[in-house]
Amino acid sequence: MADQVLQGGQGCPECQAASGLERRRFLGLAVAAGVTTWAGVTGTVFREVALAAGGSADNVLIVVSLRGGADGLSLIVPHGDPGYLQARPRIAIPANRLVASNAMFGLHPKMAPLAPMWNQGTFGAVHAVGLPHPNRSHFSAMEEIEDADPGSSERRGWLNRMIGLDHDRRPQQAVQMGASLVPTSLYGPQPVLATTRLKDLQMPGPSDPEGHRRTVRARHQLWDDKHGALGRGARSAMKVVDSLARLAGSTAPPHNGAKYPDGDFGRSLAQTATMLRADVGAEVVTIDYGNWDMHVGLGTMEWGAMLNTVDEFAHGMAAFFKDLGGLASKVTVVTLSEFGRRVEENGDYGLDHGYGNVMLMFGAGVAGGKVHGSWPGLSAGKLIDGDLAVTHDYRSVLSEVLKARFPALNLSRVFPNFKPEHIGSMKSS
Amino acid sequence: MDAAARHLLNRFSYGITPALAHECTSHGGSHHWLEHQMRPHKIRDEFANGLTHWYKTRSYSPHELWQHVQHGNFTGWDVNADLARWTLLRRIYSRRQLLEVMTEFWSNLLHVPVPDEKAWPHRRGYDLIIRHHALGRFDKMLHAAITHPAMGCYLDNAESTRVNPNENLGRELLELHTVGRLAGYSEADVKQSAQILTGYRVDMWHTWKPYYSPADHHVGKVGILGFHSANRKHDGRPVTAAYLNYLAHHPLTARRIALRLATRFISDEPSPHVVADIAKVFHHSGTDIKATLRALVKHREFKRSAGAKTRTPSEDLVATMRVAGVRAKKPSGKDSDFATAVLYQAEVMGQKPFNWPRPDGFPDAAQTWSSVSRVLGSWSVHHNIAGGWYPTTAVHYRTPKEWMPRLPARFDEVLDLVSRQILARPASDSLLQAACIATEIKRHERITQDHPLLVWKMPRLLHTVLDTPTHMTR
Repeated sequence: MADQVLQGGQGCPECQAASGLERRRFLGLAVAAGVTTWAGVTGTVFREVALAAGGSADNVLIVVSLRGGADGLSLIVPHGDPGYLQARPRIAIPANRLVASNAMFGLHPKMAPLAPMWNQGTFGAVHAVGLPHPNRSHFSAMEEIEDADPGSSERRGWLNRMIGLDHDRRPQQAVQMGASLVPTSLYGPQPVLATTRLKDLQMPGPSDPEGHRRTVRARHQLWDDKHGALGRGARSAMKVVDSLARLAGSTAPPHNGAKYPDGDFGRSLAQTATMLRADVGAEVVTIDYGNWDMHVGLGTMEWGAMLNTVDEFAHGMAAFFKDLGGLASKVTVVTLSEFGRRVEENGDYGLDHGYGNVMLMFGAGVAGGKVHGSWPGLSAGKLIDGDLAVTHDYRSVLSEVLKARFPALNLSRVFPNFKPEHIGSMKSS
Repeated sequence: MDAAARHLLNRFSYGITPALAHECTSHGGSHHWLEHQMRPHKIRDEFANGLTHWYKTRSYSPHELWQHVQHGNFTGWDVNADLARWTLLRRIYSRRQLLEVMTEFWSNLLHVPVPDEKAWPHRRGYDLIIRHHALGRFDKMLHAAITHPAMGCYLDNAESTRVNPNENLGRELLELHTVGRLAGYSEADVKQSAQILTGYRVDMWHTWKPYYSPADHHVGKVGILGFHSANRKHDGRPVTAAYLNYLAHHPLTARRIALRLATRFISDEPSPHVVADIAKVFHHSGTDIKATLRALVKHREFKRSAGAKTRTPSEDLVATMRVAGVRAKKPSGKDSDFATAVLYQAEVMGQKPFNWPRPDGFPDAAQTWSSVSRVLGSWSVHHNIAGGWYPTTAVHYRTPKEWMPRLPARFDEVLDLVSRQILARPASDSLLQAACIATEIKRHERITQDHPLLVWKMPRLLHTVLDTPTHMTR
């Protein structure tokens, strides 16, 4: 296992500088054994679970969008780069407070609940990733990232393209959990499901069974031949309600004593776990988390928006994997944010819009316990308009995830006209 | 009502009630109605004006609100919720429908969310300035909005200073409120845009008083997209006014606003042609909103676009209340009161007024408002209102009898009248079939006073009509 991860780093010549540091830490802590154990145990448990449920053993991709432009330098802190402290005299996180740190990088202190996953190698990161060109507009950068097909005028997101490559036409194949709006990544001709709460997935109408049946038939009469987005939505609604009825009523508590943090993020993750356990055919789940647009009051180690936002994220993610238990062996989580933030802090203990960012990866197949990618450095000459440079296109990371977890996919149809670079963020099985 | 009039009223009101249809006819047609609506102060509107007294948080200044919140008398959430409720009720009941429609449009362009933890004490005042200019001139509205303390608190300009400039408002002003990214401004332009705006401060977390601080204004030459100023004085208000005026009258602002208007009132993908035509009028009229709207409704493309827009969830909610003839009464202090619970219904539907967390405002296209949740949310609210199940207090729902033609009548005749009241048109064949299925009544069945339809089946008929594609589009 250790060799595989190291080969990942070596396979990419420009990663050498960063991965040299990683290698020492990796061998020193000997976390490789932990990785093997985790994979071995969960594999067995999962097979049992899957057999018992009579469900499919398809893998699941979960994309968590850190909306507002998360500061990657606060999440995976490059404390070993002297430029970090210089640029942030007030909001830099002291190196001795970081979690799971090596000579170059360390995790935000509030990531502590995720340190076990990092050490076991099921949580990793790729730094200095982003769009091929700077785009400091929230809205247009989100569109660009989620459309992921520059030059094409077709309004279709990369996840919609992805689920369109098989014969499954059930809306629940791709689910936006926690919001009723379909994000750009899911938008397109393939039916998808966007829902605030699973319990909302019930057909409204009379409570007596005959009246209810008639109401449903009347709605079919009104909507079955209707074109356009709303017609598709109505038909998807009727279909989904049919197949997910048993989920809508479920109020089962999380498994394995998992405790989710209060708030939308924890709720969305808990519902995702419930849905995956029910094995209804969800292959892609998207979740939006937080308001990371911290122009003001990102704060320090004593106060501020970053502390709370990371805290909720870490507790949520840790609870999610605890809740999943054996199912974790088929679930991979990856985070995306529209851009990173300015390297230099502003006068309001905050950060303005930037460029290069970090992507976090959790769960099945992740070559975790290390920071992948090629660190461009924070010295003045290396920055792009004051921002962290991008050394890998974010689509290279996503391509590696898809290749590892959905090997049958034709990647050139998910990311047209794009040649992914090798990063080594996933285990080569 | 003819199809052209129905189309115009569907776009510039929140739903055609029999009373609105009558009003339109008595003004001599939809274009005359629109002209009449363009002078809202001339329209008597006692009921809607009285709504302001239904919500106690509306009577306090920002400072008083803050003191009440500090003393635990109510929360900032209550203040926000009351603004959202008042807004929904005005949309349902105001006779100044065009003003309400345009207030929503401009609020969404110059968006300040509700709730927002920093903007909330000033959010009601912000709403009033948008209303004040909603049918006036965009250049004046832009200046009032950008220099307003609610906007300053929301996009951090209230904390931006010469020493520590904050780019947030300076950037969104260019990208969202005026010229848009097509203008190709640089990062340096963004920085200077923020520098011009420095000085508009708010005494946040204390008195919430807005003030101009010359000491915090960035002094020195600025140039953004062809706007130049020596900017030598510490009082930067004249430079700000000149800069905002320049942006308001920029041809790319005209184009951007024309595109937003066309997307709102014509179709999700208006042609470049109609956008250019509207932009021209906006620009040449000196950003005159009435002149721009007149050009829009006269355009061929507008006339051909009937039914092309999907109602957003909150439009669906408001239209449902209007056409179902739900009458709100003064709230009695219960959570189940219509004037209170209407906000919970909006939540079930999936859209509360101004409740969009980002500065770009709600999306305005069918693709975002057609999710499974949205459809189920709409049907759920239709069902509640059709049966009068909820809200339960301080509300009057129409009785089945009030929907009926002279009885006895055939079922298809009953449906036809209901359809005219809810959809402003006779029932289609598809609706008739659906209604027969839902109610288990045959199309020629004789309906009398004691028919099951009047005794207990009316809710099924009503929600079937509300669940139609026709009601959920405009």
